[in-house]
Amino acid sequence: MNMASAFRELLRSGPGFGGASLMALLLTAALYVLLAFPLDFGESQWSNPVIWVDNPKAVPPAWTNPLRQDARPLHRVFEGAEPQTVQTARSGPVHSWRFPFTYASSHPPTFLAVTLADVNYAERPPLVLISLKRPDGKQLRIYRHTVRGPREDENGPFLRYAETPLRVQLSTDEATVTAAQNFLAEEFDLRLDGGQIGGRVDRILFGVPAGSADDAFAPLTGDYEIIIQAALREEGDSVGKVRFVVGGGVFGLMGTDSLGRDLARGLLFGLPVALFIGVIAALMSTAIGTSLGIASGYLGGRADIAIQRFSDIVANVPVLPLLIFMLFIIGPSLWMIIVILVAFGWSGLTIQVRSMVLHMRANQLIEAIQSLGASRRRVMFRHILPQITPYVLAQLIFAAPSAILAEAGLSFLGLGDPSIPTWGQILETGFRTGGIYVGYWWWIVPPGLCIVLTALTFMLLALGIEPIVNPRLRQPAS
Amino acid sequence: MSLLRPLLVRSLTMVGVFFVVLLMLVLTLGLTGFSDRILSATIGEQLRAERTALAETIRDPDEMEKVLEKRREELEIFYGLSTPWYYRLPRTALRVLTLDLGEARTLRSFDGSNRVFDIVTERVPNSMLLLTTSLIITATIGIIAGAYLATRQGSWLDRFVSGFAAVSFAVPTWWIGILLILILSIQLRILPSGGMYSTPPPTQPLPRFFDLVAHALLPVITLVLVSFGPSIYSIRTITLNIAQEDHVKIARAKGLPESRVRLRHILRVAAPPIVTGLMFGLAGSLSGSILVETVFNWQGMGRLYYDALAGTPDENVIVALTFIFTLMYVVIRIVLEALYVFLDPRVRYTD
Repeated sequence: MNMASAFRELLRSGPGFGGASLMALLLTAALYVLLAFPLDFGESQWSNPVIWVDNPKAVPPAWTNPLRQDARPLHRVFEGAEPQTVQTARSGPVHSWRFPFTYASSHPPTFLAVTLADVNYAERPPLVLISLKRPDGKQLRIYRHTVRGPREDENGPFLRYAETPLRVQLSTDEATVTAAQNFLAEEFDLRLDGGQIGGRVDRILFGVPAGSADDAFAPLTGDYEIIIQAALREEGDSVGKVRFVVGGGVFGLMGTDSLGRDLARGLLFGLPVALFIGVIAALMSTAIGTSLGIASGYLGGRADIAIQRFSDIVANVPVLPLLIFMLFIIGPSLWMIIVILVAFGWSGLTIQVRSMVLHMRANQLIEAIQSLGASRRRVMFRHILPQITPYVLAQLIFAAPSAILAEAGLSFLGLGDPSIPTWGQILETGFRTGGIYVGYWWWIVPPGLCIVLTALTFMLLALGIEPIVNPRLRQPAS
Repeated sequence: MSLLRPLLVRSLTMVGVFFVVLLMLVLTLGLTGFSDRILSATIGEQLRAERTALAETIRDPDEMEKVLEKRREELEIFYGLSTPWYYRLPRTALRVLTLDLGEARTLRSFDGSNRVFDIVTERVPNSMLLLTTSLIITATIGIIAGAYLATRQGSWLDRFVSGFAAVSFAVPTWWIGILLILILSIQLRILPSGGMYSTPPPTQPLPRFFDLVAHALLPVITLVLVSFGPSIYSIRTITLNIAQEDHVKIARAKGLPESRVRLRHILRVAAPPIVTGLMFGLAGSLSGSILVETVFNWQGMGRLYYDALAGTPDENVIVALTFIFTLMYVVIRIVLEALYVFLDPRVRYTD
């Protein structure tokens, strides 16, 4: 049977079609990840907290909002480089950025943060002011910052916040708390002390005092505007980048974990890693298993007995405890996991291939070839191997999911390779940090689903291929 | 004697397994220099303790150094650090064989002992409880449903079960456990999310038992959920193959009642391969239970792995656990092999 017709037959069977289309989907996604993500994603991004600092922590995906009775606020990031308006005041040019947005949620933002980067000045440092304009027409200044001035032995022009941008979490900033305090006192005649305001700045800024209790606030929805002004001293001074974040209660496609990491990105990167683990481990163990099986069955004699005894033993070793032990001693690395999985994963195939080869050796064709003077190696690789290749191929696909599941389990025990994020590791952090007990389902369910989907794809493919390559060999999967 | 020989051959394989694992342990510990590092750390610790004690009698720092250096050499000989690992570790392995497992660094047994033997052995019954319960339930479901399905070959139920069995192989057991916690204990608050007893545990024996059952329910459901599909499927296939054999046809032709044919002529013959299936299932459930115990904070050997790995790892415990785990596995396997040999009349005549 040639490849094309075998493939057509595969697509005709239910599991075959399902497996092939899922595999096509997974491969496309994996290809996209390889092109779009840096290869050192784990070290340069995933375990680098700076990347995720402006994300809300442990919030569900954005698409959950329509399913809720009261929608959570969306995550909003406003960025500006070139100033939107340039005015000239007496003190010098004033650059300003205005970010209008509609706030519709009855929950306050999870946090407010501002970031300044690449501030240039010739002599005197600029002053940055941030105001919030509310739907009720009231406006208040929530932040005021004078860029660090020249040091004694320093000469201009000065560049500030270039390597490490200045980031201020306004929700917990003392100056903002004071601003909120003054705002309440002036506009609503409500006098609260710092302790009553601390931690609730966002609620105050995005709400109005409500009811009898002094510290109760009702949400205020409508059109807000963030106004950022940089009062510069000379022409040519500039603020390179401003960024204002209104922290959301939902985020992206898959939500975030407790460090604010975008789970969608982690899950995506886990895909090629899982495929890689499955395919490489399966390829290596199948290669070893097949060649030992052929050797054992064809050579016979002492070699056969030795190989059979040995693979009997290896087949019965409880692998997981040994894996845990060796990874613990040697140190967690993806390659180590694969090598150990292969070292204990080849034996089942050896036993099966041997029995197939034994059947074949009795075959007259092989006998004829031998009597023509073909070398043993030639018989094994040119005449026996091609006959069992289809069967071996099915076994190869069967072997992939178990490697993926094994890696996930080890990662879940905390033995995953720390430089490469995998689905098992995402689950592990969700479990270890207690995310499961507070119901962070978006952190726990999707990685598991990804594992199941990938493993299932291989299973379906194998189920579809098996009857094609050898109907006689259909046997219970075990 | 005819029974003993095949049993011996099979047991020898398992003993081989045991020694291969032991060899791996020794090689890993030795080749990576891990064992040496641990011993020098132990010696260093002991020297530090002795230095403070000696400081009371010896004033001269030079003399102190000399005394300590001498003491270090003594300790290195005592602990065997002066001999290379390939002489020392086999001896350690032999010591471990007599269940002399050393002492844990930070972990303690429930009553406060730091002997690894105490820590590990008090966990064994807990693991066995979970494992045997789920294995028995799985096997029972498998035999009843498998034998039934064999009479309904090709029905939608039959196809559904074989599909379900295939899916089961693609699902990580521990993740199912996490899902069940998320749904049943966090959302619906029906069952406890982990541990073996409530805090404080009930003191009366009967409430205590029911408390244990309530806590065991989720982990057992988890283990059964992922393994009963494959179990049904394999038993169905075995039964189906035997049902097509001649002796069954003859039994039917003789006019024996169908129930008797199924019980005496099909299931009796199917028993040995079913036991074999259980044996292979055992390795899977053992590994599965390590992770499931971790998820449910079940105080068994699997959870002990997690505890020993987390934070400052406890090497002695990990080595001993791997050893005891393999030992347990090998012993259960030999028992099952014996069962197999006694169950299968054919084994006595072949080989």
